[in-house]
Amino acid sequence: MSFRSYKDKIEEGDTAILYLSNNLYAIDVQPEMKNKKGELIENVYQTPFGALKVKTLIGAEYGSRVELSKGWGHVLQPTPELWSLTLPHRTQIIYTPDISMIMLQLDLVPGSIVLEAGTGSGSLTHALIRRVRPHGHVHTFDFHEHRSKVAQEEFMEHGIADFVTAKHRDVLADGFGEELNGKADAVFLDLPSPWVGVPHALAAIKDQGGRFCSFSPCIEQVQRTCLALQEYGFQEISTMEVLQTEIKVSRRTVPVRDLSFLKQKSSTSPVEEKPSSETSYVVGTWPQSTPGHTGYLTVATQPPYARSKAKKSKPENDDDKSSSENGDKMVIDETV
Amino acid sequence: MANEVKIGDYIIIQKQNYKKLHKFNKSDSSISLGRDTINLKGLEGSPYFSTFKLLPKTSRKNKEFTIELADEAVKLKDEIDIKVSGNDNRNILDDGRSQKLSAADIETLKSDSNKASDIVETLISNSNTFHNKTEFSQDKYLRKKEKKYFEYFQVVKPNLRIISEIMYKLEPNKIQNLRIDTLSQIITTVNIHCEGNHLLYDSGSNGLVAAALLSVIGQNTTGKLIHMHPGNMSQKQALLAMNFPEEQMSRCVSVNVYSALRQFYQGCDTHKTADTEKSENGTEENPLKRKNDDDIEEHQSKKNKQDDENKPSDNINTNIDSETPRENKKPKWHFDNIAAAELLHKKMDSLVIACKEDPQNIFSELVTFVKPGRPFVIYYNVAEPLQQLYMTLKAQSNVAALKLSCNWMRNYQVLPDRTHPEVMMNASSGFLLSGYVLNK
Ligand SMILES: C[S@@+](CC[C@H](N)C(=O)[O-])C[C@H]1O[C@@H](n2cnc3c(N)ncnc32)[C@H](O)[C@@H]1O
Repeated sequence: MSFRSYKDKIEEGDTAILYLSNNLYAIDVQPEMKNKKGELIENVYQTPFGALKVKTLIGAEYGSRVELSKGWGHVLQPTPELWSLTLPHRTQIIYTPDISMIMLQLDLVPGSIVLEAGTGSGSLTHALIRRVRPHGHVHTFDFHEHRSKVAQEEFMEHGIADFVTAKHRDVLADGFGEELNGKADAVFLDLPSPWVGVPHALAAIKDQGGRFCSFSPCIEQVQRTCLALQEYGFQEISTMEVLQTEIKVSRRTVPVRDLSFLKQKSSTSPVEEKPSSETSYVVGTWPQSTPGHTGYLTVATQPPYARSKAKKSKPENDDDKSSSENGDKMVIDETV
Repeated sequence: MANEVKIGDYIIIQKQNYKKLHKFNKSDSSISLGRDTINLKGLEGSPYFSTFKLLPKTSRKNKEFTIELADEAVKLKDEIDIKVSGNDNRNILDDGRSQKLSAADIETLKSDSNKASDIVETLISNSNTFHNKTEFSQDKYLRKKEKKYFEYFQVVKPNLRIISEIMYKLEPNKIQNLRIDTLSQIITTVNIHCEGNHLLYDSGSNGLVAAALLSVIGQNTTGKLIHMHPGNMSQKQALLAMNFPEEQMSRCVSVNVYSALRQFYQGCDTHKTADTEKSENGTEENPLKRKNDDDIEEHQSKKNKQDDENKPSDNINTNIDSETPRENKKPKWHFDNIAAAELLHKKMDSLVIACKEDPQNIFSELVTFVKPGRPFVIYYNVAEPLQQLYMTLKAQSNVAALKLSCNWMRNYQVLPDRTHPEVMMNASSGFLLSGYVLNK
């Protein structure tokens, strides 16, 4: 239940994040667990620094130190950011650098209604819920029944189920559903053919307009999505990539080599000298290897008139196919 | 915020990709876009996203326009009929002589015509080479001309995304080069949401960081923000531009960092009336304060080129801050200091610092107000001060999960068969040092 509100102390049933020398672990705070035979036994969590009796966490303050047989760690209250780093992966997930930008690009604030497909492992969903609550709502869809169910259970366990509805649904084939027509402030797609979802987004977004974002690893997906967005009257279509790099900070001692003494004659004239002294700097080292690509974010605004325009132009398009296939026609305004 | 433009709203005027923030303070206020002056009479009451056509007041020459509601912006390409195009550019020689009209002719044409398409059509029909150009280059030419002569704009509701974009594009150094992606990371890194008490120290983002935090704290929620600043008056431009309702705005307590901390540690101000205070504490502090306020304001309006309409926004600042020594009544900042000190006593759920000064002292003072287990983040536009602070904090043991990071963002041109990264990218957006406060 520790996902809902700020807490000072750990209670039974919380998820607590154990921070152990740069590694994070999500621990279900239950004093007992079932063993393979189905018997209740004491819940002991194995860490690289030794075993942790989970029971001892109950009542501890978040932010406090946890002693282990071979060291110590700290316990933190989960946030969507910590959860994204510790959650059980059922699919590829989106991480905080992209999530942060997605939420800002979708203009999400408390009170917003946002639709998401697919739910996947719920990494983004947790962050969306946190952003739109208490008056807003997240409707999240996945065509994989089990994932959808597990996600819904997770939201219940985390105490945030009243801000989210997880449904099993093929959004590309069936849209977001009648009942959501004209209800959404924002639509987000993370699935293999987002361009197919564009007309469904068009139907779901509110009369006064809203925002669209899709996350796609491949540029071909982006191209098709941009064309679809043009076709359905979205404006301010823009594609971007965001990355975050962690810089390692350390103090580095570097040798100093003096060459100035060579100007004068001296008794000894070595060809190889030991460095004469040392100096030190605080340096930031960029990682040898770091994420270089996650996915492209394609965002767009649906203006209030897009829906009526798309309706009007539909029959035309059917008669005159060339107009929708004439790529150049679509590109004239949004590029420079 | 309602869906129609109201007097008093901050609005965004968008002409193609150019966006400008404007305070719509009277029904016939004017705005300058580039060299044009546009009278906005007719804008009031129209729904956001409406498109308007620019109509020259007399001729295009004196660059004054009125506006008329339009269905949608007509594209040059749709108005101008291009009959032939070449296959490639092997025969195009750019010797500067392809245009038959002289520079003077073009000037007259520009000031005599009322329609952009007339101008461009005349230019094209007098060009020797236009019809040999490929469809792609004709397209490019029209887009270029369209940019120059575009006759439409749209009125858009401000939000964090647009304000952050405008401020970064216009004068990035005024907001410490804080780019939109980095701003978005600040919000999530410290888990800002509808609940909790959040502490911000900001000495130079024109209110952008405060606007970001307050917008995700949201309307009709319980979250509160203390916005500390080193001057006598907070920089509020971005905060004001968000059109937050009073209820939301009132949960952002803007205080001078010295006064707020003095209040916290020494508790000198109480809820007494000004009269009793004068007799107790002497009158020294207040006159001094007012004087400095005025200075900063002048300074601000001189420096601020964001909008010609900046004066009114400064006026607003004055109004807010100078519910000032009316008789028997204490100024608003007096009560703000008390409110901030009370919140600090309850302890804070996050700490954000975006400063120009060395972050070291500021952090070590402010971190004491943060509850254990809660996150903090410090933004600085170069890495070294944060690296230094990292080393200091590593040596102590009051924080965990220290992380120094840098964000990168690249935009793309996406066109059929012509997709590539934008030729220019914004390469500078500072660094973030983040972590969690520990139980000591
Ligand atoms: C990469 S995962 C999403 C990960 C998620 N954004 C996260 O951060 O955890 C993509 C999900 O989309 C679902 N999906 C694919 N096509 C779909 C469709 N047509 N309708 C609904 N869900 C779909 C898949 O089942 C998969 O779970």
